[in-house]
Amino acid sequence: MIPRHHGGGYSNGYPKGNTFDMSPHRFEPRSSPPSLRRRRQLMTRVGIGLVVVLFLVFIWPGVSFAPLVGFGLLATSDNTQLDTVRYYDLSNVQGTARGWEREERILLCVPLRDAQSHLPMFFSHLRNFTYPHHLIDLAFLVSDSKDNTLGLLLQNLEQIQNDEEPTMHYGEIEIFEKDFGQKVNQDVESRHGFAAQASRRKLMAQARNWLLSAALRPYHSWVYWRDVDVETAPFTILEDLMRHNKDIIVPNVWRPLPDWLGGEQPYDLNSWQESETALQLADTLDEDAVIVEGYAEYATWRPHLAYLRDPYGDPDMEMEIDGVGGVSILAKARVFRAGVHFPAFSFEKHAETEGFGKMARRMGYSVVGLPHYTIWHLYEPSLDDIKHMEQMDRDRAAKEKEEKEKAEKAKAMKETFDDPGRQWEQDKADMQNIASEQKKKKKAKIDSQGGKKAGTKFGNQAGGAQEQQVKKAAQDSAEKKLAENLVENVEADKAPVEADEEPVEVGEEPVEVGEEPVEQKPVKKAAKADDEVKLVA
Amino acid sequence: MGSVRIKRANPLTILLGTSLVVFIVYFLFVPSSSSASRPAPPSPFHKTSTGVRASPPPVVRYDMNSVTVTKDPEQNKEKILILTPMARFYQGYWDNLLQLNYPHELITLGFILPKNKEGNAATAALQAEVAKTQKGPIDSRFKEVIILRQDFEPPLTSQDESERHKLNNQKERRAAMSKARNSLIFTTLGPMTSWVLWLDADIVETPPTLIQDLASHDQPVIVPNCFQRYTNSETNQDEERPYDFNSWQDSQSARDLAAKMGPDDILLEGYAEMPTYRALMAYMVEENKGMHHEVPLDGVGGTALMVKADVHRDGAMFPPFSFYHLMETEGFCKMARRLTWTCTGLPNYKVYHYNE
Repeated sequence: MIPRHHGGGYSNGYPKGNTFDMSPHRFEPRSSPPSLRRRRQLMTRVGIGLVVVLFLVFIWPGVSFAPLVGFGLLATSDNTQLDTVRYYDLSNVQGTARGWEREERILLCVPLRDAQSHLPMFFSHLRNFTYPHHLIDLAFLVSDSKDNTLGLLLQNLEQIQNDEEPTMHYGEIEIFEKDFGQKVNQDVESRHGFAAQASRRKLMAQARNWLLSAALRPYHSWVYWRDVDVETAPFTILEDLMRHNKDIIVPNVWRPLPDWLGGEQPYDLNSWQESETALQLADTLDEDAVIVEGYAEYATWRPHLAYLRDPYGDPDMEMEIDGVGGVSILAKARVFRAGVHFPAFSFEKHAETEGFGKMARRMGYSVVGLPHYTIWHLYEPSLDDIKHMEQMDRDRAAKEKEEKEKAEKAKAMKETFDDPGRQWEQDKADMQNIASEQKKKKKAKIDSQGGKKAGTKFGNQAGGAQEQQVKKAAQDSAEKKLAENLVENVEADKAPVEADEEPVEVGEEPVEVGEEPVEQKPVKKAAKADDEVKLVA
Repeated sequence: MGSVRIKRANPLTILLGTSLVVFIVYFLFVPSSSSASRPAPPSPFHKTSTGVRASPPPVVRYDMNSVTVTKDPEQNKEKILILTPMARFYQGYWDNLLQLNYPHELITLGFILPKNKEGNAATAALQAEVAKTQKGPIDSRFKEVIILRQDFEPPLTSQDESERHKLNNQKERRAAMSKARNSLIFTTLGPMTSWVLWLDADIVETPPTLIQDLASHDQPVIVPNCFQRYTNSETNQDEERPYDFNSWQDSQSARDLAAKMGPDDILLEGYAEMPTYRALMAYMVEENKGMHHEVPLDGVGGTALMVKADVHRDGAMFPPFSFYHLMETEGFCKMARRLTWTCTGLPNYKVYHYNE
């Protein structure tokens, strides 16, 4: 450090003496003043101390002063370190189109009642989901179940959570047990009867609300409602629905049917678009009335998602809807957080999932159905169907019985009239022999030439080829049976000499068959056979 | 030349370099080990920093048939959820909360705050108080505290009394308030909760037995009368005046008004443009009938509101849209009644609102 102004300086600011008296080529050790030396010693001591401290910290990390070094920046404020305090920013769980990449959590809600028989199928679906399982929390509500739903559920959950494959494991799993004391039966007929609908739908809505309010947490981005009795659904259904990035989205739900009912049928009629007729109808109804779709009692003329399905349509096609079906609903959690729920009362003349759709629309959320993206509900025969099927079984049994009886009768008849028949046959044969001998004698000379021709032709070829050729000939005359006859004949008598005799016999046989007036075909056959004979001749 | 460089190198530099290396190594390695000692993040399945997931949490069963809702919640160890939508933090509110003598280990607190500057300030103040309490004596610690930040913008930047009560601002404000309340209730309501107490952030004085008193009526929805203490500028004396006008019994004129309205219009209380002639609980005070005098209500206010959890579970929420021309807490009462529950008021049981 050269002081700016030192005493001996000239007024012009240059130092005294030889300003440029400095040799760059000579080494001059720097002098270290005592002050500098002292400072250096101090620094050395401090440095050693620091190293020791750091070393100790390195050996015993996490002791009292750990957060002081380096992690003051990252360490969150005190209260997050308390177990009992939770902080959530709801704007982080809005739900986006690619939730699996952003690790968005889905709450999968499944209401259960007497669902023992469907659980194995449901768990096979669970295993197949492609959405990362650890991001899915499961919530089940088991209510008013008289069968072993709960036991089976626990057993299945245990199995899937202890699976060897860690990707199988689901996130948090909660089971809620609550009995509402419902009197409504869960069998198909009482479930779908018109009279029971309103109260049944309200009870279902109550169960759904209880499930959701108990299970929804501030860290869920999506909520997926799924019925256990879905038989077939794409494994990627969560991603497929999520991709559309809608507030509420449902696929089309159909069910397979037995052949006699047409093979397939729209199942979920609760996804629909509102119609003027329905709105007018709603105005005429009592405050507590509930319009239920799919029953003749309320003709609403609404466009149903289910009926708009085209099996070859674009599965990504969207359709705005007002009511939704509850078989498979994917909704953003923020919809539920804002208060949309399944009305257990008549909301705008609708309850449960239909009321849910209505309420969501009312609050300005997008409600969308995919007409050409189909999942398949299990087919459970209704009482009518069962009756019909029983009838069909009875009919079939009766028919079988009848046929059997007929066959037996025929057999018995045959046995009873066996001897005369044979006798008759014998007589016939004798007569034929006589007749044929006579014919032979007559025709011998005329036939011999043609017969030989045919004979040599047959003789030149192998058995199979012969068959083919004859068959072809038969096809030409468009009578297969005859062809078979011929083939048989050819096969039976490979000798070309005898072959020429056969057509004659064929020609003669039908004449006798033709004597029985009941049988029609043989007559025809006879005629054709005659043609054939001529042809061969 | 080499020897020259060694001589010129400052031992201090070497030391500093060494310590820096040690420090960096420490910085690189410590995080993974120290994060393990940090509290578990709220979400159960967050990846740990090593990227390996823990084994799945056990299946949890809740028997909701065993949850009781009785007149004597303390005896039956019934769990209470106290919910507060908060825009500003008032120390008086927190102090009042702490003096509630219902066992704190049965109380879960839930807060929701807007995401704006004011909300940030309130959050910070709240968190500081929460931390103080939860680290304090065991008896005063609450079972759990859940703090949520709203996922939508509050419609008004100003929370000023005058601005807040303007008629045309009311609908938007109450819709936002409803959404905040719904977000709070539906994410914090646990399966074992028996009662929900809604307590506004500006309620600064209640009897310490508030929870027990309200529960003792065994009503699905019950609301005390909300008053405000102030200093009368004329007489220069401390007086009190009614504050919450949302608790009322319906009137024919209100029904007539509603019948003429469009589907999205709402009826509001306390505005001269809209004379409803409803019987307001605020003016039903009859001291001679005692603290526990009950009146049936058709609309309730939310400043202090005790609800059986089952009412919310059935789906009763605070409509952010016009529900029978009502919104928020008034609409909530209507919805509860549609679900066959009833609403009750306690005109002589007073809680006090902060005076700004």
